[in-house]
Amino acid sequence: MNAKNAHSSSFRDPSGYVFVDNGDIKRVINPIYFKQYKALTDSGFYKTLFENNLLIPHTELTNTEQNIIIKAEKIPFITYPYEWSFNMYKEAALLTLKLQKYSLEKGFSLKDASAFNITFHNGKAIFIDTLSFDFYQENSPWRAYKQFITHFFCPLLLARYHGAQQLKLLSNFIDGIPLKIVSSMLPFKTKLSPVLYSNIHLLAKLEDKHNEDYKGEAKEATLSKKGQLNIIQSLYDYIKNLDLKEHSEWGNYYDKTNYTDDAFIKKSDIINTWVNTVKPDRLIDIGGNDGTFVRKLDSAIETALVCDIDNNAVDFNHRTTKLNKEHFMLPFVLDVLNPSAAIGLNNTERDSFLNRIKAFAPDVTLALAVIHHMSLSGNVPFSESAKFFSSFSKYLIIEFPKREDSWVQRLLNNKADFKDHFDFYNVDNFISDYSEIFEIVEQKEIEGSNRVIFLLKTKAS
Amino acid sequence: MIFLYFDPGLGAMIIQAVIAAVAGFVLFSKNLMYKIKLFLGISKPIKDDVFDDIEIKDSDIENQNSSER
Repeated sequence: MNAKNAHSSSFRDPSGYVFVDNGDIKRVINPIYFKQYKALTDSGFYKTLFENNLLIPHTELTNTEQNIIIKAEKIPFITYPYEWSFNMYKEAALLTLKLQKYSLEKGFSLKDASAFNITFHNGKAIFIDTLSFDFYQENSPWRAYKQFITHFFCPLLLARYHGAQQLKLLSNFIDGIPLKIVSSMLPFKTKLSPVLYSNIHLLAKLEDKHNEDYKGEAKEATLSKKGQLNIIQSLYDYIKNLDLKEHSEWGNYYDKTNYTDDAFIKKSDIINTWVNTVKPDRLIDIGGNDGTFVRKLDSAIETALVCDIDNNAVDFNHRTTKLNKEHFMLPFVLDVLNPSAAIGLNNTERDSFLNRIKAFAPDVTLALAVIHHMSLSGNVPFSESAKFFSSFSKYLIIEFPKREDSWVQRLLNNKADFKDHFDFYNVDNFISDYSEIFEIVEQKEIEGSNRVIFLLKTKAS
Repeated sequence: MIFLYFDPGLGAMIIQAVIAAVAGFVLFSKNLMYKIKLFLGISKPIKDDVFDDIEIKDSDIENQNSSER
């Protein structure tokens, strides 16, 4: 049924499929979905969602008896749910509920509530599964309810009670975290909350029971529209008020660094000057914390990816983009030593970070204050980190903290007996190893600090 | 006809009526408490800068986001 060139993640929904045509994202709509598509278009439902930046806009290309083909606006870089910070995840959950409520009010309903229906674009969460809307059947329960709970509510609750790192579970539990696991992991006091008891614990119990007793009987269940809206509203209110309780080592990073204000400004100026010469449309800042240095750039950048291993820093960045109403910055969580792998069916359904960043092709990569962590905490030789950066970026602006730097000293002292292994860590070795792969365009000492900053360009191979 | 391509879970279908009843109760009591507190001056109307409310406005005039940096 699906064309041979369907996108590797687009195979479940019989209503249609996505394919990539010369870099354009197109969607084929099959006849079984024609009625819904027509209703959604003619009633202005799609239009309202486009205008509110809640659904990825599309234009109709062809319309025949066999199929309808639409073209969707291109999103420069897709982030997956396991790369979102806590508040980004919250935003995605709230968006899903918002859309379901609006759908119900207009006589529609979401067929599925997968976290992969959403990604981040122009500074906000946006729904990308255009064919997910179906007609509402009077008094039927929400088919996607359980999926909403396992894809959204469960991860958020685990993060709330056990830390943001729990969100990483999603790359393994690709179809949501199972209710039984979450129910057993949440503290006892959650059973005293009506919202949590009913939506998690009771649901987990019932799911368990019905999995065993299933004799192939169909049971008809009914739920009034008002009842469904109540569920949605109560989940919305609860999720909106969810917050993490932890601090992190990185949170207020810039308060704890060893920069003098002068050195900070000088570093910023150098980076700004270099970026102005490269004039990038697209850049990525690896270990970019809360986006501070990218915000200081004069150059008008179309898309700036800012990733960091620390959820709190990314959350702070996300919050700032919302308060400033910025469209160009996309924060996300990434461990540079273990970037997201390709997972799902045939391990092509959800693409690896490296493939996505190569396709994104940033003009310049910033790697400020991250190489010492890769080399010392991660034990990664210079030659390997050089290979990594050069695999996706033409220009690299990298900051090297010298041995005398206080952060480096701290990391070295943590090594105790093993400290001698890191004798290789000095600026001369760095230059010689990186020069195998990069050409050093410029090199500057940051006055008032023990750091050197480089502008590198990958050598033509 | 509804076309599904995943298993919604039998338990989840059946229990939604119960969950809805609980939700209704929670919303009612929270709303009541909030109104009482507002009236007594204990609570101020909450304004969240980052997450907005659940309504989607049909009118497009109100929703032009002021733009970039």
